[in-house]
Formats: sequence, C-alpha cells, structure tokens
Amino acid sequence: MPSNYPGFKYGADRETVSAAKVKALESLLIEKGVITGDTVNSILGYFETEMGPFNGAKLVARAWVDPEFKARLLADCNAACEEMDFPEGMSGAEGEHMRIVENTPEVHNIIVCTLCSCYPWPTLGLPPYWFKDPTFRARVVREPRKVLSEFGVELDDSVEVRVWDSSAQIRWWVLPMRPEGTEGMSEAELAGLLTPEAMMGVATVKV
Amino acid sequence: MKLQHNLGGLEGLDPVNTETQVFVEPWEQRIFGIHTAMMALSNHLGDSLPDYAIEEVPTEFKSFWTWGHLRMGAEGMHPFDYFRLRYYEKWLGGISGFFVSEGYITQEELDARTAAFLEDSEQAAAPLPTGGDPAIDAQVLKYLQKGDSPKRPLPAPPKFSVGDRVRVKNVSPGEHSRLPGHLKGHTAEVVLVYEGAFTYFFKTEDGIGVPMPVYSLAFKNEEIWPESLTEPNSLYYNDIFEVYLEAV
Repeated sequence: MPSNYPGFKYGADRETVSAAKVKALESLLIEKGVITGDTVNSILGYFETEMGPFNGAKLVARAWVDPEFKARLLADCNAACEEMDFPEGMSGAEGEHMRIVENTPEVHNIIVCTLCSCYPWPTLGLPPYWFKDPTFRARVVREPRKVLSEFGVELDDSVEVRVWDSSAQIRWWVLPMRPEGTEGMSEAELAGLLTPEAMMGVATVKV
Repeated sequence: MKLQHNLGGLEGLDPVNTETQVFVEPWEQRIFGIHTAMMALSNHLGDSLPDYAIEEVPTEFKSFWTWGHLRMGAEGMHPFDYFRLRYYEKWLGGISGFFVSEGYITQEELDARTAAFLEDSEQAAAPLPTGGDPAIDAQVLKYLQKGDSPKRPLPAPPKFSVGDRVRVKNVSPGEHSRLPGHLKGHTAEVVLVYEGAFTYFFKTEDGIGVPMPVYSLAFKNEEIWPESLTEPNSLYYNDIFEVYLEAV
C-alpha cells in the first residue's frame, strides 16, 4: 500500500499556528474551569524562582568546599538537599529520587534520557532544548566522546566515560570537577560558575 | 518494533544541536504549563504518596493524566511524525487531542478559536481570560512541592544481586514501555539494587505498574553495538525494572 506520508515539510506559518492553537486551548480551559487564569503563569514562575539550576549550583559549590557534605550528597542527594536553605519541594515533582555522580580526572559522567526527557527538576529545572533533541539522545549512548567534542569537551582515551540513561524513576545529574584557580572564591562565587550543561556532563566548569 | 523506543545508537545522524534554551518559542511555555497542571490535577493523586485530597479540588479536570499518558501518545505516533515534530509540538497535538477526546472541549471550538486568533491579530494579542478558583493553583503548587513518588515497600526479595549478569528480555512494548528497545537481548552487570520497590503510574502490557525492584545495570557498548561503531573506554548505565530482566 502506498504511503501517504507527506515528508518533513513545514509551512511558513509553523510557529504562528502553534501559538494560536495553544492560546485557544488555554483560554478554553480557563473558561471551562479546568485551570485558572493564573495557573500557567504560576507554574512558569515556580521554575524561575523555586526549582532550577540555581539549586544544583549551590549544592555543587557546597560540595566543593565541604568534603563531608560532598560525601553526603553523593550518598543521598535528597537528604543533602534538606540540609540547604532551599524552598520547600526539593523532593517534589521529578525530584522524588535524585542521584548525583562525580566527575574526576579518571571518570567523566553524562546524563541522557533515550526514551524522552527525564530530568531532575528541583536541582536543574527544566531540560534545555538539546537534551530533548532525538539526535543527542540517539548518539550520546554509542559515541559519547564524539558528542562531547561537538559541545567543545575533548577527553583523553584514558578517561572512562559513563553515560547514565534515566529509564526508570531515578533522576541523575553530575557533580563536575572544581576548576583550578578558584581557591580563594566564596561558595556563592563558585555557584556562579556553574551551568546546567556542566551539571549534565557536556561542559566543564570555566573560571 | 517502534522507532521511538529504539533511538539509542542510531547511525547516520547530524551533529547535535547545542541550543541551551528550554523553550525556543514563547508558545512552548504555555503547553508545558498546561501539561504540568494536568499532572498536578490528575485523579490518580488521591491514591498517591502523599495522599492528596484531589477530589476536593474545585477543578473540572477529572481525568487520569501522567507522564506515562503523554509518552504513550508519543509512542503511538507515526514514527516519521515523531521525528518531524519538535518536542513541544508533539505535546500540543497530544494534549489538545486528549481534551477533545475526553469531552472537555470540542474540536470545533478549538478550531474556531484558533482560526479567530489567526485571522485577527488584535484578538490574538488580547489578554487571556482571568479568574478561576485559587484552590486549583494551590493544588498545583502542592504537587510541585510534594511530587508523586513511585517508591513502595518491597513485595518480595530482589531476584538479582550486585555483580550478577542479567539479560534484558525481548518483550513487546505494547502501548507504553519504560524499556529502551536497543537494550533488548543484551546482557549487563547489576551494579546497584535500589532500596525498596518502584511502581509505575499504571499497569503496562509489558509488565510494570506494580511494585518491583529496580536495578542499575552497566552495559559494555561493544556488547550492544558492533565494536567498529563504538568508542573506547565507556560504560552505559540504565535503571531497569525487574520484570524486564532474566538470569543469564
């Protein structure tokens, strides 16, 4: 039977149509009493102020200055979160069971979700575009060094690469290495060096 | 086989797109928010941990909606559509289709309003409706803070221990699966047995959805893919539900 498949063609109005459709949907859902006029904005606001990579950055900076805290963070990420002055909810949505793996001179870790986009919301927020892109998900598991080089990270063959695929309900993330030249920095200054990419294993931390 | 389940290791792809924004178009934020609200208002949360008083929340939303449902829709798509559409485009199609099929809105209402926004830029730019019961948003916030943990007491001791070799079963995924297809038939070493058991939002045809042990498995890439296609010195870890595994 011949396929009617139209191919990968996009209309010039691709984004305009999606924008109109989602606004139509949201306005109907508000009128029908499914959500309120504030629901979507309050969710987006929550990810700007409560759940985001700023939390992960604080955890990593604390781990860099306090080896005992680092040991507790690696052993039980959720319990370590409770020690911090974080907003309520660090074991909330998509963070119920988090684990962190440590990069060292010998081992480099990367996270992926080949099935879709699992991600530790409380510590890293929402996943960036590249993490959700099927090309990254397909390639990083078989050729992680090549993918890393496309992100600008070159690893020696002596470094073991570990790729962590979130196929069940553990949400993984990465404790990157502390860069040299940061000895005099405060915890807050150290936190300012961190990016989501570093905490997912596709970037190193730069001063 | 569904291509959506078998992404790992595909050949012939382009360099990765390293775009670091979460949302590449403003409209994508809105569908993300709608989906998150649906998860936070889902009728299954009354039986969840913690025990939400979901029936008392004054929303008209009375359906069961989780990540599993969103994913089931994506797994049911024509595979070429799955790759043609961007991430949140799939969400928009699946979620609006769900609201129509469950009877919250009609397709005619949605199409007419979409057309009105496309034809009249003033209407398209007008503010969204306001109002609604604040108790709905209180439940959404509570869900974000408390989550929906799948962890449960172990019903029976785990079948496998750290150091065991196990093989991933070649089970049919059915409508929804949490087993990456590219692992099927391959062997791995158990490196961690997670404490307790894990359930899933609902029972699937391939066997998850009741509390069972979950294992962290380490796969050698050269055991999954031809050695000529792999790189040196790397390991690939997955968290796999016990029902998907058999002894070697």
